[in-house]
Order: sequence, then C-alpha cells, then structure tokens
Amino acid sequence: METRIKRRRYQHWKTALLLLLPFTVVYVLFLLYPTGRVLYLSFTDSDIAGVGNFIGGDNYIKLIGDKLFWASLWHTIYFILLTVVPNTAVGLLIAMLLDKMKRFRSFAQVLFFLPYILPVSVVTQIWLWVLNTNYGIYNFLLQNHINWFKSVPTAMPAVALVTIWWTVGFNVLLFIAGLKAIPREMYEAAALDGVDKGFRVFRYITWPLLWPVTSLVLLLQLIAQWQIFNQVYLLTNGGPFNKTIVVLQYMYVQAFQNGHGGYASTISIALFVIILITSLIQLKFLSLKGNS
Amino acid sequence: MKKLLKGALVALLLSIPVLGWSQTQIVLWDFLSGGDGVRWKVIVDGFNASQSQYQVVGTTLTWGDPFYAKVHVGVVAGETPDVMTYHLSHFPVGIKGGDLRPITDAELKTVGLAIKDFNPALTKVSLDISKTFGKAGVLYGVPLDTHTSILYINKDLFKQAGLLAADGSIAPISGIEQFTAALQKLKALGVMPFTYSASGDPATVWRLFYTLYSQMGGGFVANGKISLGQLDTIGKKTLQLIADWTTQGLAPNNIAYADSIALFSSGKAAIMFNGNWEVPTMVDLKASNKLGFDYGLMAFPKLFGSQATWADSHNIAIPNNSKTPISAAKLKGVLTFIAYVEKNADKWAGGGHLPAYLPVLNGPVLKTLSPVNQYAAQAAKDVYLEPVNPAFGVGDPAYAAVDNFLTPAITGSASVADGIAGFKDAIQSAQ
Repeated sequence: METRIKRRRYQHWKTALLLLLPFTVVYVLFLLYPTGRVLYLSFTDSDIAGVGNFIGGDNYIKLIGDKLFWASLWHTIYFILLTVVPNTAVGLLIAMLLDKMKRFRSFAQVLFFLPYILPVSVVTQIWLWVLNTNYGIYNFLLQNHINWFKSVPTAMPAVALVTIWWTVGFNVLLFIAGLKAIPREMYEAAALDGVDKGFRVFRYITWPLLWPVTSLVLLLQLIAQWQIFNQVYLLTNGGPFNKTIVVLQYMYVQAFQNGHGGYASTISIALFVIILITSLIQLKFLSLKGNS
Repeated sequence: MKKLLKGALVALLLSIPVLGWSQTQIVLWDFLSGGDGVRWKVIVDGFNASQSQYQVVGTTLTWGDPFYAKVHVGVVAGETPDVMTYHLSHFPVGIKGGDLRPITDAELKTVGLAIKDFNPALTKVSLDISKTFGKAGVLYGVPLDTHTSILYINKDLFKQAGLLAADGSIAPISGIEQFTAALQKLKALGVMPFTYSASGDPATVWRLFYTLYSQMGGGFVANGKISLGQLDTIGKKTLQLIADWTTQGLAPNNIAYADSIALFSSGKAAIMFNGNWEVPTMVDLKASNKLGFDYGLMAFPKLFGSQATWADSHNIAIPNNSKTPISAAKLKGVLTFIAYVEKNADKWAGGGHLPAYLPVLNGPVLKTLSPVNQYAAQAAKDVYLEPVNPAFGVGDPAYAAVDNFLTPAITGSASVADGIAGFKDAIQSAQ
C-alpha cells in the first residue's frame, strides 16, 4: 500500500520535473549561465570574445576611480529624473482625459498607444527628422537652428522627450485599466457627501484607489529607464562631450569599441547591483505607502 | 504520384554528392552595401561563373565596429568565413587581436600575384603595420583599392562664379586663400558654397579634419608612439577653420549624410566633400537626367603645405581561425578568388575606387574610365592613410571621439578649445 503511494508520488514528481524541464533548461542556459559568466569575466582582463586572464578585483578598483563611469551613472539618474515621474504623470493625465471622453474614445486610445508599437530605430529616426537642425519642423516653427541632440543643455531633455512620446502609451493603458477598476459607486457616494469638485474627487478617491497601479507604473518605469541605451545610442551616441553617455552605453563602448570585455562585465555587474537595490527600496517604500 | 516523389527523392540524393564533390565552397563576409555591394556582387558572380572548382558564397554584414567585433568573436570561437573584406585602417587592431592570417609573398606567387604588383603607397603602410604589430615582411590582407575623399563640383555654379578655366574645365585651386575666395564668390550666388555631412557622421568630419590637419603638417604618431602635442596648435587651427565655415555660412550646420548629397544633387550646394564611393550616384543621376546641372570631380586640392588627403584601403583578408586553420585546398581557392578580384578591379573602379593592383591602376581601362579619370591620377598620389595606431581607423575609438568632441565644436555647441581638449583625452585614454 505504502509503496504504491510512494510510487504514485514519484510518478507525480516525474511529471512535474518533465514539465519543468524545458523552462529550466532555457532559464539555466540563457539566463543563469550567462549571468555567472559575466560575474566571472568581471574579474578578468578579457577582450570582447571572453579570452583573458584572471586579475582579481582590479576592474572593480578601476571602476571606483573611473570618472566617466560615475558621469555615466549621473547621466542615467538625470535621465531617470527627466522621465520616470513625468512619464507617469503624463500617462495618468492622458488616461483621465480619455476616461472622460464620450466619443472617439477608442480612436484616441489607439492614437496614444500607436508610438509604443514602433521599434526604437523608427522612433528615433522620426525624431531626428522632427528635430533636425536645418530642416526639422520644430526649428522651422521656432525659426532657429538649435542642434537639439548636439548641444549640452538640450541633448538629454530631448532624449527624454522622445522616450516619453514613445512609451507613454503603455502607461496610459495601465492607468485606463486602473481607472476602470474603481467602482462607480465610490464616486456616487462621494457626490452624495458633497465631494463633487474635480480636484477633491481626484485627491480623495481616484488617487488613493489608483495608487497600486501608479506604484506599479513607477516601478516598471524605474527598472526600464535604468536600462536606457537604445535612444541615447541612436540619437546622441553619448555626445556631445560625453554629456549623455549612460551606464549601458559606457559598457557598450568599453566592450565593443575599446575591446575591454572584462571591464564591461564589471560595469554590468555594478549596474545589476544598483538596479536590484533601488528596486527593493522602491518596492518596500511604495507598497508600504499603498497599504496605509 | 508516389513514384514521382520517389524519383524526385532519388534525383535529389544523387545530386547532393555531385555538387559537394565537384566544388569547394568558400564562405565570404563583407561589409559592402549600396553601390559598392552591387559591384562587389558582380565580381563575385563573375568569379563563380569563370570556373567550376570553387563556389564563393557571400554574406554582407554591417559596416564598422559591428563587423569587426563579429570577426573577432568568430576567430576566437572558431567560426569564421574563409575570406573577408577588411579596412587597412583596422589592421593594427586586427593583427594585435590575432584576427588576421598573414599571407606570404610565396603564397601570392602561387596565383601569379606579388607584393610589388600593388600600389606601393598602400603596401608600404601595410608592411609597416605588419612589422609594428605582427610579423615583418608579410601582408595581413591583399589591398583591393584606395578610397579617398574628393570634391564634387557643380560646374554650372562654378561658371557663374567665374571659377572655370577658359576651356570649361575646373580651374585648379591652390592655397586656403584662393579656396576661401572661391567659397565667397559662390556664396554671393545665393547657394551653399561647400557641403559635407556632420550629423551622426563622425567618419566624414574625421576625413575633413584629418585631411586639413595633415596638410598643415599635423600628425598623431611619432616614432611609432602616439603623440598628440600638435593637436593644441595645428589641431585647434584646423578645427577653427572648419567651425568658421559654418559660422560664416560657407558650409551648412550639422546636416546628415543623405542631406548633404541632396543639397548638392539638387543644385543648392556648389561643392560637396564626400568619398569617391558616391561617384556612381552622380553617374546614375546624370544618366537618368535627374541632375539639373553639369558636374565635375576633383582630387582634394592643396590648401596648405602638402596635398595629403585622407584615404583608406579595402583589403581582402583571411581570418586567423584559432580552432581550425584554413585547409590547403581552401587556401588555394581563396587565393584564386583574390587573384580574380584583383585582375578584374576595373569593375570595382566603376564605384569610384582606385584599384590597388598596378596593372589595372595603370592600365588602359582606367585611363578612359569617366568620370573616375578626372581625379584618379592625382588622388592616387595624395593618399594619406590613417594614423598607424589602434585608436584610429574604421570602427575604432577615434570615430566616437570625433562625434563626441569635434562635431559639437564645428556646429557651435562648444568651443574649439574644449573640443580639442576632449578629443585629445579620448584618444589618450583609448591607448
């Protein structure tokens, strides 16, 4: 009797393992192994093909004294400041406007979501044209020749603008879902209690009830924007004067232009740790606030 | 039906060994797109049709650092093509990284080639690089061409500005004063006198800067070592000159590659600074009557002490596969292919390039090949290759440094002094 149960249990395990196997293999092969390999490479002086010698913590010591790394970290944070909260705020604003719309709502939703489905190369090409120094529509309307992506004060804000334009559609979508989830009765009850002015409704009903969605959007934004690379690479290439170089791009330069695979791995590990810490802090901070 | 399928299967099985036995397949990687790609394919197809022993199968990859990173990874992983295109300016990095298999003169002789058959301006530098970074006396790639920057001229505008000689040819320009005066005359016509691309195009900015800097006597390498002292004097002067063209309205501010071509081909710019590889663009536009003016070509003029003009060279090289070195049979095939390409380099010259193989360069076809013959003889003499240092060349750190520091200075977003200082730091730290 007992052996039969045992056997059956074993059978269950076998099925479970079999079902888990494909994912596990893929996960180990394409995520865990490369991660471990990057960690190892960060202690070597490898070139881009991963051939090199073990040099202990030298790369990490170099990283601490590397001005350009700290500059790239600051630029990444600057970019986060320019995008995370604004992108969330704009998303919320658009979602609330759409929520109020009576006609053409689906059409307007599609319009705002459309940029999100474009590949980054298309988005950057559009904006390189729109903000073109000589023939761009912005400069035509402003009647000047600003080099949006080539002058220090405008370069990073311009990259942030492009990013918000491109990705805000997804936030709008999440916020619309969040707004739909707020029971209508809440608003009706509030109206009965005399709270029917726009801002007070927002302050005391919409905002607190929407907070779980808002915190999710903020967290997703933060994680995504830490990994900023494509837009900078395609729009400014880190210039002018390295003033828009971000961490991942610096890693790319070290790996693929300067051929320092080991040091590039060190930069990746540093960014990995930074993202991990900030995500944990944010998660803790936001969820606590959400519960109160 | 079943019978038919069976028959087809048998036929298929029979044909596989036939194909496999009779031909050795040679895998080729190149970075040649656009007009270059079309001409390259004609040559490769020509080789495949000319004999039945080898079959060259080509793949075109992205130009620049993506190409060279892929080659390097391929060499280490043992997954390389048998033959590839390669820039002479990238040889220092390629040889240092062990990516290139040396080709001896004896190996070249087996297919009727010799080092002395090639433009000495190229082989001298190539052999110097071999000596500094690898083995002396061998080539790490067989030079195919010289490609350089030339001036594209709108002859109608030149005529209006009185810049043509009596016989209707472009009057020679010599010295920066004469050049600036010509630009001013062209500006008076209400057109853009001089155009080159800067936006997202460090390569063109670098070629212009390097040409003028070299003509003024500036250098980057002394006694085999990096030496950047002249950047503070000659470098600043050069960058100021280019920046002044922008501020004085003699050149457009920060336009992209395609825009520069459009500006010239629409007749709104009088002179375009660009690589000789855009010659086919002009030839095609003219042939289809889409060019509303008469155009001419000239080698970059002597504006300062020398006529040095930026140039680079496409080479055909053999990857140094670390796991399975190329077999003797494949090597023979690769060398046969290289010999064919070199001897048919007049087809390549249709793309504006100057063949490196002397019998073709000095041969009858090139002398009559219009419009390449308008600049070929002079340009071949002015060849001034990239500094021999791993920081310079296609896909190497200097390009990024140009975009980062020199371009902002010429577009007025930063000062010339800051531009040079940042550029110097970047080159120094890439050592």
